[in-house]
Amino acid sequence: MVVVTLQRNKCIGCNYCVELAPEQFQMSKKDGKSVLLRSQEKKGFFTLKSPDEAILDPCDQAAKACPVKIISVKSV
Amino acid sequence: MQKIELMAPAGNFESLQAALDNGADSVYFGVEQLNMRARASINFTLDDLPEISRRCQEKGVRTYLTLNTIIYDHDLSIVKTLVKCAKEANITAVIAMDQAVIMVARELGMEVHISTQINITNIETVKFYAMFADTMVMSRELSLRQVKKISEQIEKEQIKGPSGKLVEIEIFGHGALCMAVSGKCYMSLHSHNSSANRGACKQNCRKKYTVVDQETGFEMELDNEYIMSPKDLCTIDFLEEVIDAGITVLKIEGRGRAPEYVANVIKCYREAIDSIENGTYSKEKVIGWMQELEKVYNRGFWSGYYLGQKLGEWSKGSGSHATQKKVYIGKGVHYFPKASIGEFKIEAYDLSLGDTILITGPTTGAKEMTVDTMLVNDEQLEKGIKGDSVTIPIPFRVRPSDKLYKIVENKVEA
Ligand code: SF4
Repeated sequence: MVVVTLQRNKCIGCNYCVELAPEQFQMSKKDGKSVLLRSQEKKGFFTLKSPDEAILDPCDQAAKACPVKIISVKSV
Repeated sequence: MQKIELMAPAGNFESLQAALDNGADSVYFGVEQLNMRARASINFTLDDLPEISRRCQEKGVRTYLTLNTIIYDHDLSIVKTLVKCAKEANITAVIAMDQAVIMVARELGMEVHISTQINITNIETVKFYAMFADTMVMSRELSLRQVKKISEQIEKEQIKGPSGKLVEIEIFGHGALCMAVSGKCYMSLHSHNSSANRGACKQNCRKKYTVVDQETGFEMELDNEYIMSPKDLCTIDFLEEVIDAGITVLKIEGRGRAPEYVANVIKCYREAIDSIENGTYSKEKVIGWMQELEKVYNRGFWSGYYLGQKLGEWSKGSGSHATQKKVYIGKGVHYFPKASIGEFKIEAYDLSLGDTILITGPTTGAKEMTVDTMLVNDEQLEKGIKGDSVTIPIPFRVRPSDKLYKIVENKVEA
């Protein structure tokens, strides 16, 4: 199981996560911040739990690229 | 000589209040992600706009919203929202770089200022942007002679902005200078994927580098290893010439700086501008202001490119050359307005009689004073330590959101 979290309010909308993991992230046209697709929100933290291990790599890259370090990825 | 506007940076409410208390004529700030300080953990949000506007209007201070990063397609609607909210909140103008922002602002009837990121360096460009904007920041790469020529030309050719008034010229008067052309640096994008042009500069130019010949492995000896870190711009010692160049707005850099920085720098430049206006500007005063300015964060000072195209002057270290620093002591607890007494809880270090203290807070701004008398846990003592509650006579209101610091000398390495 892969767990990805996005602390969305701190996003500066640079788009790198989308470039690296387009299946998981999308830029919102509404507020210009990143959206973690299929995620659930709790207190500003958006979490996606996925059984698909293939998303680990791209999400990891996105987490590394994010200039404000608001993406975290875990394999549990 | 014309009256000039002193523009202060405001990264948060502390700095905003410090700017208002120390004589700024206008303030600039960013909200949310689309400004050059988007990375900063402290940043205003959209909801803060009405409060910013209220506090500034009370003092007749103009407000400018910076919206000057590069803009992607996915940003277009937040741009609209930001400009709309700024207009509703009665913000004076938007500082823009991207043409999309300029268009949105014009469509919504919002005054536009052209950001330094556009790098205006000649009169024809001024004419072009005069179709959209009333005020323009000149590129930092211009000399004062060149700025003066441009402002004379504006007058001569009667170049007017949308408001029907002559275009106003703004320049940077004090603060950090970039090693790159403003807003066009790739360094932190290359090293950290963190685009400066998106407000996420990692300041790699402020570090020490060695140049190595790849063929021989020979390391080039450099006099100063901080080859990409320019000293800070300071114009207080030739401010008459700056004003004489025909500028209308003097902008102070530093939205990432602490409130006491804003308080100190704005106070000095306010005094300097006023003394030029009333004819009391003098060498002695300049010496005093320089000493004041050196107290807060700086990388050493130089005159930028304004006095001619001399080679850049590089700073000698990565950090600040400030002669003073603040040490966190504790927080505000209560204020007794009748007796004008403030109560604080000491959480670190100690506080003694004679110490200079700095109190900062979102409403308090940044205020400095000396402790002449105090009570420690209701006793007349000379020193309070961690855990103690101290009460000090204070001429202004102290709030639980306030932080208490003491100012100590900073040992600077030459
Ligand atoms: S990389 Fe980070 S800051 Fe950039 S859009 Fe994605 S989440 Fe936001």
